[in-house]
Amino acid sequence: MATIVSLQRVTKDYGQGEGLTHALRGVDLIIEAGEFTAMAGPSGSGKSTLLNIIGGLDRPTSGRVEVDGREISDLSNTELGLLRRDRLGFIFQSYNLIPVLTALENAEYVLMLQGIPTAERRDRVKQVLKEVGLEGLENRFPRQLSGGQQQRVAIARAIVSEPALVLADEPTANVDSKTGMALLDLMHRLNEEKGVTFFFSTHEEAVMKRARRLLQIRDGVIFNDQAR
Amino acid sequence: MIVRLAWRSIWRNRRRTLITVLSIGFGLACTIFFIAIGEGVYAQLIDQVVRMQAGHITMENPSYRDGPAVDLWIKVPGALRSQIERLPQVERTKLIIMGQGIARSGSGNVSATLIGIEPSVELHTSPLVRHIVAGRYLNDHDGPWVVIGTELAKRLKLKVGKKMVLTTNDAAGNLVDQLCRVRGIFETGSVEIDGYLIQTPIDFARRLFGLPEEGATQLGVVLRIPQAQESILQEVRLLVTEQDIAVLPWQQVIPEIASYIKLDKGSNFIFQAILVFLILFTIFNTILMSVLERQREFAVLLALGTRPVQLRLQILMESVYLGFIGCVIGVLVGGLTAWAAQVWGIDLRSLLEEGFTISGFAISAKMHARVTLGLLLGTAGMVFGAILILSFIPMRRATRLSIVDQLR
Repeated sequence: MATIVSLQRVTKDYGQGEGLTHALRGVDLIIEAGEFTAMAGPSGSGKSTLLNIIGGLDRPTSGRVEVDGREISDLSNTELGLLRRDRLGFIFQSYNLIPVLTALENAEYVLMLQGIPTAERRDRVKQVLKEVGLEGLENRFPRQLSGGQQQRVAIARAIVSEPALVLADEPTANVDSKTGMALLDLMHRLNEEKGVTFFFSTHEEAVMKRARRLLQIRDGVIFNDQAR
Repeated sequence: MIVRLAWRSIWRNRRRTLITVLSIGFGLACTIFFIAIGEGVYAQLIDQVVRMQAGHITMENPSYRDGPAVDLWIKVPGALRSQIERLPQVERTKLIIMGQGIARSGSGNVSATLIGIEPSVELHTSPLVRHIVAGRYLNDHDGPWVVIGTELAKRLKLKVGKKMVLTTNDAAGNLVDQLCRVRGIFETGSVEIDGYLIQTPIDFARRLFGLPEEGATQLGVVLRIPQAQESILQEVRLLVTEQDIAVLPWQQVIPEIASYIKLDKGSNFIFQAILVFLILFTIFNTILMSVLERQREFAVLLALGTRPVQLRLQILMESVYLGFIGCVIGVLVGGLTAWAAQVWGIDLRSLLEEGFTISGFAISAKMHARVTLGLLLGTAGMVFGAILILSFIPMRRATRLSIVDQLR
């Protein structure tokens, strides 16, 4: 299998002097294509920091970060933007849909950035929205959708461009447990049927049980890496 | 998509957007209206003054401005007048003899400006004709008859038909007297004009000042379209190139009016600049607030791979929409009100019973605006351009955010 993410001795510090915080302390990690990996840990353990660094949203203090075969530590902001646009998908805890765009427009936004012709992207988005169970709701604005439906739109937005990796920061945290399990089922199905690689953080036991690989992180250190 | 996103974004806070575009519209409408009123009043002032005096273009002895005196007269052949009158945009020419003298009656004497005019020409050009309050205006067949102002008539206790004596120096320097009678009395509202101006037919003025046939101190050119002044000025100069005649624009003949307009335009400009500044401050505030409120949303867009230039384009488009809608409202409201004021005028006679004067010239208390396409597009373009320039600050602000901090 191809390696999608490779981290070597990655550290991340915030602040300085007495306020210095070590968010990550020498993390080593390999994620292969097709994985369905969860990262668990308490608040402040470094989960979001690790996801941000892999996603090119933040830079490590030291160490080496490779995503989709590219060393990204030295990339410019513009190059990181292009990497995120073309190779990564993001699912945020609080959905983060654009309120003035419909479900279909939100989902097609990344394709528009990629310059995909309108007709082609509409076809792809409609297909993906159907796959995530939002057929018939394409023209609704986020405020007209439930939390679970909004997160489905976010999932559609993340996978529609067929990225190498989808990063999800506690994707089920803002929905009830039943909806959370349904979302997880959806992600699982997309992983199995379409081969989408997922790497997501969580602190929910039920979610952890569904992952095929579980990383446990505390105080900026991955102390357990367990395949299931 | 960016265009759609920008359009929908400005309407997510409808009330704020409406207030913003209405503020732009109101401010621009006021600016357009006041500029149009100013332009109208200047045009009215110039028109009245140049028509009462020697036209938009004045031809006279080159030394006349250094020491105005009747002995500095010029000979104006009829052929030259015909040539000038054939030029496009020339309404007519008018001959004037301007001198100083003393008007006397049994009740006293007053120093006065004596103007010899061609009544048939003045009937079409001079605003004085409309201000006759007793008797009638002169005609070409009137001999030693004059029209005087109400103030002068009061001082000399004169009425229509009464006699008065004009004393002056003729072109040869001799002291001369001529008896004449009052044909009409005018009232312009200007103390200077009503108290010191006497008009008389040009033939009588020639006799009084001892000037020959075709002699006059000025030949005036009245234009149909004042904007053609510069080109006509050049053409007239070519016609008299071999004669010792100065050809002057009205700005040099009546510099006090030209200075007044320049000064007034300057003060108006400051007022308009303040108004435009307020408009710009309003929209700058709106765009900046809108950007600051959406930092998280912009962080999401950047996280998804939106390039900073695309984000800046979105904010620029929002400014374009706000500016465009506001400018359209401003041009429509300002243009229509200014147009109404141009057609029907604004009557201030109830506020200014006696009218008002500028540099001694009476101006009608009914003001007419002057609105042109250039004024509408120029003012709106300036405001629109300034809005776009101001939006650069929020644009920069939006793309310099920290994605991680905003998404935390």
